[in-house]
Amino acid sequence: MTAALFPATAGRRTKPSSKKSADQRAAWGMVAPSVLLIGLFGLVPVAWSVVLSFQHSDLQTPATWAGTSNYRELMHDPVFRESIRHTVVYTVLFVPITLVCSLLVAAALNRRLRGISLYRLAVFVPVVTSTVATGVIFSWLLDPDYGIVNALLDKVGLPQSGFFSSPDSALYTMVAMTTWGWVGFGALIFLAGLQSIPQDLVEAAQIDGCTRTRAFWLIQVPLMRPIIGFMLVWLTINALQLFDEVYVTTKGGPLHATTVVVYYLYQQAFVYFHAGYAAAIACLLFVAILVITVIQIRVSRDRDLDPSG
Amino acid sequence: MALTTKAAAGLAGLLALGAALAGCGGSSGSDGGTTITVWHGYTDVEAKAMTAQVKQWNADHPDEKVKLVYNSGNDNALQKTVAGFTAGNYPDVAYEFGSSAAALARQPKLIDLTDTVKKPAFNWDDFYPSEQQAAEVNGKVLGVPALVDNLSLVYNKALFKAAGVPLPTASWSWDDFRNAAKKLTDPAKKTYGWAYVNDGSEDTVWRYLPLLWQAGGELLNSDNTKPEFDSAAGKEALDLLKGMAVTDKSVYLDNGNGNYLNLFNSGKIAMLWTGPWDLSSINADVDYGITLLPGHDGNHETISGPDLYMAFDHSKGRSETAVKFMTWLTSAPVHLQFAIATGDLPLRKSESQLPEYSTFLEKYPANKVFVDNLNNVKHVRPNIASYSEVSTAVGQMVQSVLLGQAEPQEALDTASDQVASVLAGQ
Repeated sequence: MTAALFPATAGRRTKPSSKKSADQRAAWGMVAPSVLLIGLFGLVPVAWSVVLSFQHSDLQTPATWAGTSNYRELMHDPVFRESIRHTVVYTVLFVPITLVCSLLVAAALNRRLRGISLYRLAVFVPVVTSTVATGVIFSWLLDPDYGIVNALLDKVGLPQSGFFSSPDSALYTMVAMTTWGWVGFGALIFLAGLQSIPQDLVEAAQIDGCTRTRAFWLIQVPLMRPIIGFMLVWLTINALQLFDEVYVTTKGGPLHATTVVVYYLYQQAFVYFHAGYAAAIACLLFVAILVITVIQIRVSRDRDLDPSG
Repeated sequence: MALTTKAAAGLAGLLALGAALAGCGGSSGSDGGTTITVWHGYTDVEAKAMTAQVKQWNADHPDEKVKLVYNSGNDNALQKTVAGFTAGNYPDVAYEFGSSAAALARQPKLIDLTDTVKKPAFNWDDFYPSEQQAAEVNGKVLGVPALVDNLSLVYNKALFKAAGVPLPTASWSWDDFRNAAKKLTDPAKKTYGWAYVNDGSEDTVWRYLPLLWQAGGELLNSDNTKPEFDSAAGKEALDLLKGMAVTDKSVYLDNGNGNYLNLFNSGKIAMLWTGPWDLSSINADVDYGITLLPGHDGNHETISGPDLYMAFDHSKGRSETAVKFMTWLTSAPVHLQFAIATGDLPLRKSESQLPEYSTFLEKYPANKVFVDNLNNVKHVRPNIASYSEVSTAVGQMVQSVLLGQAEPQEALDTASDQVASVLAGQ
């Protein structure tokens, strides 16, 4: 969805051609199957969730109208408030860390080295590894008593951590684990971006006495701004919707420490069977993501148009 | 790393789940006979044994065929069944956790089995009382027991010997248990006396409940309208947990990933409170013993989590077949075959009277204690639709004490308030 938003901003500056209407018809014909499927399996459930959010439903007996009571109750739900806080903390840490790490890894991979494809593969493997496998492996590595990570920390004289087992560290451990999983994806996108930048720009700068590092930050990174903007939106949306990793590792615990909004939604809908309440959470999350995304796109578009930026 | 729009997927997933199962669902007979669909979560030997029994049934009942469908794991059986209803594709018979009975009691398609089981031929009283109670919601029998288990004390004999601690007995007190766990703990070697599943889930709760009950406490009042665990007994039980986990540090806190069993196998943990399902995963080279849970003033009661087969209405013919099949499957001789093949405990008391029962004991000598311990099940968890919310509150309470984040009384007060508001909001 977001991927489509950015080409649209770029396309704004192209002039409409005379073949437009014929092209459009052909284009609609081609996208029709997807539109139909997305409409059926995407938009209909979304619309249904909005209706559901104004109902009391246990998913089994006929729903009853609730008015706005689900929303009013949410305002006073301490666990919901906590889940928002966790989601915000998670997003604020995860997005910039992943963005910067991905950029650095992409820069490191953007060179002619013997066996470079092997390194690229290694970086990308976490992306294609199933979340369940990742979760199991990490909970082994990070076991406070018997995990290899604490053993290593102990060897080098650093303090050990409770990782997923301690309410103080669980959320940060989640950030670390998911960053590991996402950097490969970010690096792949950035690598493609770096390789699309003409090499002579960097060479010209280097002839003028610019170091590789400075060229990277002052020439390559600014040229990749649209891609960075895309990644920013993409990572933010995914961070706000964090679920899988929580489900397979901590189940929201210990003591709600990793209960994020979507996990709480799942719990309400499919553990307690408060489907209307869960739908209200989903709607609020939808609005929040919409607002944040629009702001992000506006900001990055304005910067693109601003010649001094 | 799923790149899906998860918020919408949360609810849309419901449809998808139903649709996924719809692909493999069976339906009524096209050739004149009836075919019913049975959803189950058995794997390995249990799946094999179940398949064999269904094959036998189908051979004997050509007009009333049973089609087995794997529900991809019993942990989410309830979610899948509910999704099935939403998608209009639900099973005739489904394996469900006992704790799901109350949630499914609201389902209009659920078949009330009260009259069926009350028929003399069914011999309902042959099932253990805890199984009967787990199947009953508001005085109605909503399922037939499918599996029964309980918690007993499993210990590694070699570790006791090495630490010079006498082996546990069936008359151990809480103090005996705590002292032994302390002696069996060695921080240098990273060995622990006991392990506790501390993920805040029902796994956490159901190890606390026997302690509460042994000390004379109750979880809720008799009509399930108010919490009652905020009592002297509730505190005594939490004090024991705190003493062991926080003061003695003799408890390995498993965060829910199931490491405790691997650690038991590698000789890092001396004692477990676990059920028969774990025995098949204990390595052959571990010399282990089993006994009753330690007791409080001679009360060694344990907890059982009976699971159920529940039936859902499609048509009169299919319902009749479903009930007939469940009755057959859980009859003493048929279930004993299943028990012999899998090591699952007998469901009916009369199974132990059958001649083949000796085969069961020969094949699974360790299970004798579990079978005997079924008589020590005196309480069942409340069969109410909001039990999962009660469980969450109690799980958080136990977890906060085990992690040293709250004092027992403070944790009891918090959880009691939460449970009170859950029960009031029904």
